[in-house]
Amino acid sequence: MKSAFRNTHCLTLSRYSLNPNPSILHFVPFIPYSRSLPSPVSRSLPSRSPLCLALFSTTMAGGDSESPVTSPSLEKQFEKFRVQLEDSGSLRERIRAVVMEVESATRLMQASLLLVHQSKPIPQVLEKANAQINVLKDLYNKLAEVVRECPGQYYRYHGDWRSETQMVVSLLAFMHWLETGNLLMHTEAAVTLGLNDSDFALDLEDYLVGICFMSNEMPRYVVNQVTAGDYDCPRKVLRFLTDLHAAFRMLNLRNDFLRKKFDSMKYDLKRVEEVYYDVKIRGLATTGDSVGDQGILKI
Amino acid sequence: MLLSSSSAIIRRISLSWLIMANNSNFKSNRLACSERSTKRARTMSTQSFIKDAFSNYADYLNALNEKRERIVKASRDVTMNSKKVIFQVHRISKNNKEEVLEKAEKDLAAVRDLHISRLVKELQGTDFWKLRRAYSPGVQEYVEAATFFKFCRAGTLLNLDEINASLLPLSDPSFEPLQINLLDYLLGLADLTGELMRLAIGRISDGEVEYSARICQFVRDIYRELTLVVPLMDDSYDMKTKMDTMLQSVVKIENACFSVRVRGSEYIPLLGSSDPNSFLVGVSDAEL
Repeated sequence: MKSAFRNTHCLTLSRYSLNPNPSILHFVPFIPYSRSLPSPVSRSLPSRSPLCLALFSTTMAGGDSESPVTSPSLEKQFEKFRVQLEDSGSLRERIRAVVMEVESATRLMQASLLLVHQSKPIPQVLEKANAQINVLKDLYNKLAEVVRECPGQYYRYHGDWRSETQMVVSLLAFMHWLETGNLLMHTEAAVTLGLNDSDFALDLEDYLVGICFMSNEMPRYVVNQVTAGDYDCPRKVLRFLTDLHAAFRMLNLRNDFLRKKFDSMKYDLKRVEEVYYDVKIRGLATTGDSVGDQGILKI
Repeated sequence: MLLSSSSAIIRRISLSWLIMANNSNFKSNRLACSERSTKRARTMSTQSFIKDAFSNYADYLNALNEKRERIVKASRDVTMNSKKVIFQVHRISKNNKEEVLEKAEKDLAAVRDLHISRLVKELQGTDFWKLRRAYSPGVQEYVEAATFFKFCRAGTLLNLDEINASLLPLSDPSFEPLQINLLDYLLGLADLTGELMRLAIGRISDGEVEYSARICQFVRDIYRELTLVVPLMDDSYDMKTKMDTMLQSVVKIENACFSVRVRGSEYIPLLGSSDPNSFLVGVSDAEL
């Protein structure tokens, strides 16, 4: 029973059965078998003396101790790992290629949007920027297709498009605000980018970070609008940012990037308040804030 | 997307909220308490609509953070108890191998049943990668303990597939089971060599030179295989530092083996005195 078990054990664990008849080994230990050891072991341990080799087979490492140290299964496993990692590496490269396109489309959008600071008429600015939306939508579709090849691993590669997506969201939200005076909601952003698919969606935290980025853009906009003579702008922006800040305060954030960005939002708010103060104290603001409080924001 | 009137906005939004409801599988259900809030939104101004949306976001983030917290806790417990298994395996010596390993096996099973099972319950679908940072340390430690135990028992490397197979019974068959990913496995394996180094040094001082030589060979194999794999890994920074420590461990074992070899004469009598009985005990291990 015992030796039969050992025989099968040896055979299944390794093709190189060191000892076809283990019962002999029990009674004649060590040396006599050292010469007849099959090649894998002696190849892997060329410098060991026969004594040493024989001792190897009697270690306390347990019943399988007579199998060769460099087991083929170990090599096979690592071979498999290599293939898997190479696959995921090439997938990542494809993702990065798409993300780079996303980035350049975003840059075009941003460049045309920057004209808003030079008091170009908003519809004109938006028209150019809007042209990129469909490009982005296509690119995100492409990205989704690539990522769909590895179901359930969205977040494995998420970091590769994360910051780009945040940027995209911030621009979209800014455009939406210029257009409607309202905040672009998470689902709206997702729909705009075609990210309403169940296995490739817009991560909520990315959306929120994007909104924070948008808020960072506000002080500059207000300053430039006032310079250009739009004295009502600070009031509208201030209201919007106050609401946004209040909304963000409802969130319990962790000590992460989003938290940091949220913390920076209050400086935007402060800056806008200062501009508003400057405008108001000089009597430049045409509509009083007491009247304007209930007004629907429309630019 | 020109939204001119506020009713159009609300229509648009309620549409997207419905989409969100369909999405709930991906985003967790928290975001999708759509119906009620949408109706409320219709009667409210835009500003309170922001509030509504953000209270949904808050729910989602709270749920996510709480889940993450629970996973971190479970992961810590896994780490702590896996460490205990490793220490238990280190208590091995020439004579008590069987009982030590038996206890280690029991402890390892307890880690699996009590703590890994908590991870299994929490993690679903995209969570495996989304929350990987939260559970990765525990899983790495578990991999370390399991592979360490397996080496001491069988002298072979515990494969990723084998570990994952052992986790299958923990999960409900209707859910996607927790499977340790390749990266965590490799990171755990990198830590294993440190433990093997300690074991090898301990065994040498106990006179089991040949066992140490065997450990040495095993660690070298792992190191060699890992050098090929590490450059391909996603976040190879962690792994690179681990590779450095691993090389140190290999060198330490080699030096110890060298010392023994050079002053071998002092150890030969010890070796001779280890009677063949211990080998027979080893045989019956395999059958147990």
